[in-house]
Amino acid sequence: MTSPANHVAKRFAKVFAEAGGLLSHPLRVGPLLGKLASDGMRVSFEQRHLYSYAKTTRDSQETLNLLVRWILDAQCPDGGIAAYYSLLSGYSKAYPEVTGYIIPTLYDFAHASGDRVAIAAAQRATAWLLSLQMPSGTFPGGLQGSEGKPSVFNTGQILQGLVCAYSETKQSEILQSAILAGEWLIQQQRADGCWSGAGAYQNEVHTYYSMVAWALAQLSRCSGDDRYATAAERNITWVLSRFRPSGWIDGINLREHPNYLHFMAYILQGVLECAILRHRRDAMDAVAKSAWILLRKFETNKSLCGAYDEDFKHGRRFACLTGNAQMSCVWMRLFELSNDLRYLNAALKMNEMLKQLIPAKGSRGIVGGVSGSYPIWERYQPLRHISWGCKFVADALLTEDRLMRSLEAREVEAVPCAS
Amino acid sequence: MRVVVLTSSVYSETACAMCVNLAQTGYLPVGALALRSLNRKTLLRKVGQWGFSGAAGYARAKLIQSNGQSRVRNPYLELFLKNGSEVFRSLREVAAAHRFPIMTCANQNSAQTAAQLKKWSPDLIVFTGGNILRRPLLDVPRVGVLNAHLGLLPEVRGMSSPEWSILNDVPVGVTIHYIDEGIDSGPVLQQCELPGATDSESLDDLRNRLIAFGIERMADVVAALDRGTIFPRPQSDLDKDNQFFVMHERLQKLAAQRLRKERIYSLAGTVHG
Repeated sequence: MTSPANHVAKRFAKVFAEAGGLLSHPLRVGPLLGKLASDGMRVSFEQRHLYSYAKTTRDSQETLNLLVRWILDAQCPDGGIAAYYSLLSGYSKAYPEVTGYIIPTLYDFAHASGDRVAIAAAQRATAWLLSLQMPSGTFPGGLQGSEGKPSVFNTGQILQGLVCAYSETKQSEILQSAILAGEWLIQQQRADGCWSGAGAYQNEVHTYYSMVAWALAQLSRCSGDDRYATAAERNITWVLSRFRPSGWIDGINLREHPNYLHFMAYILQGVLECAILRHRRDAMDAVAKSAWILLRKFETNKSLCGAYDEDFKHGRRFACLTGNAQMSCVWMRLFELSNDLRYLNAALKMNEMLKQLIPAKGSRGIVGGVSGSYPIWERYQPLRHISWGCKFVADALLTEDRLMRSLEAREVEAVPCAS
Repeated sequence: MRVVVLTSSVYSETACAMCVNLAQTGYLPVGALALRSLNRKTLLRKVGQWGFSGAAGYARAKLIQSNGQSRVRNPYLELFLKNGSEVFRSLREVAAAHRFPIMTCANQNSAQTAAQLKKWSPDLIVFTGGNILRRPLLDVPRVGVLNAHLGLLPEVRGMSSPEWSILNDVPVGVTIHYIDEGIDSGPVLQQCELPGATDSESLDDLRNRLIAFGIERMADVVAALDRGTIFPRPQSDLDKDNQFFVMHERLQKLAAQRLRKERIYSLAGTVHG
């Protein structure tokens, strides 16, 4: 348990460390001031009108290339991908968790664009992760070189990457590693379906660990072992018990942090994807209800708040771009399930908003970067371009491309031939 | 029946045509209230809607009232807007020709606006555009506030209704309904499908035709209310969330494609009997 004084001291230490980075690299002052000025101007003059984001102002393919370039630039020679690029201190160390769940994005991008470089990057990332796995099957939490305690959430997120890498390469070594991770996750799971104890962040149970359930459901599908699916469903059932009639979901449980949209979207994504894999109608309906509430907020206010209090009250007036991109992904999946075009419509507008905030020019770490918050100085990952932000925006644009191609093709096919 | 027309701008062709048609049907408006066209909010809204160049064009058109610019944007309104050899270009010109007062305001929901409207003692308010209406304005007229919604209720509420109707395979039409505090959720007075909707050449063409159709229907409804031959019926399915929002350009293209396709089918049907 950390005391408030400890927490404040930690925050100050963090600020000083980042500011120190600026002193050692004074050339970073230019891009920093540029970004502060551009976000400041945008916030001041932005007109949130009904028609905001209803038009395509930036090409999705070009933006997607920029995002993946950012991710590739953030990859270390050993394969690990940095957590963020700070406008003060530059690149962070590699982050196993994010390196894991960026792997599916790299493969999806490679399939959509035919870019072999992304495949090579995914393979390097996989090899690096395999080298980090502990004998118990878990993966270390935190950045490379930190304490590296076993972490349930990070292991789950890495498991997603491993399952995808195995599906792509069919290398038995990767499957073995994934199964080892899956076994560890099952061992750590409580009888009621959640995870707690030392492997859980801040020793608390968290509903956003539905992302771990999703990874287990994926592992069950590729390994054919139903025990992982049972564990996944047990967790989803537990998470569903935290859904309120208002659509709000309890149990984000992050001390010293508000309920960022990123974590709410994690819950929805994890439950929805798991529900799709396990054909759980109850879970799909619960997610649709919460996602619709957020959709109405977005369509009415032209933005989603970066964080909310219980029952979506007291929204903070900044944007958590990662959470926005995740919600876009959730809406698009709900469109696939329901055929309700309003979900796709909201996602197209959200993607438009996100594209407009991605720098098209600048040095490495800046160009193609997705800031934690908009404006960039706000509370979620301030003054940083974060790799998981790039991942989720890329996922949203890839899904948009796939869905729109299919819709447009369907429309063209049905046109009667002139002859 | 004392009728007041509310509009988003004195330059709204829809409002001009509505006033002319009401006057021709024997319901000369007792007043018209328009939002100020060149306020900061409207200009910013136009920037959001059309971009800087579009908004600059809009401001130019409002500032420079050239006689040479007498083109009607919606050709289906030309019949209403003809004024001898000229056309009405603003509600001020319509008001001068038909002798009814016109006022402007910054917010249709303000207390001052409600006070102004009360002076006209309206039985009915006909809404042609502007803010989402709230109380106390909704309580001002004796009978109610009417809207011509460009979609069939309750299936398609909210924005981009013609486009959503096409994409969701709902017949395209107009609903005349009372405005309440919800979005297009008030009791319905009349609902009509647009005849030959699939003959429309484009989405713009379809929308223009629907606007003209709505203006005709509105005059009918006002007359029927006056005669006491029409009664409102509450909407069903109010629990179901049928609200639609502004459609993204890419889905609009799909709707346009679907409309073209339906037109081809319709033409083929005509040729082959």
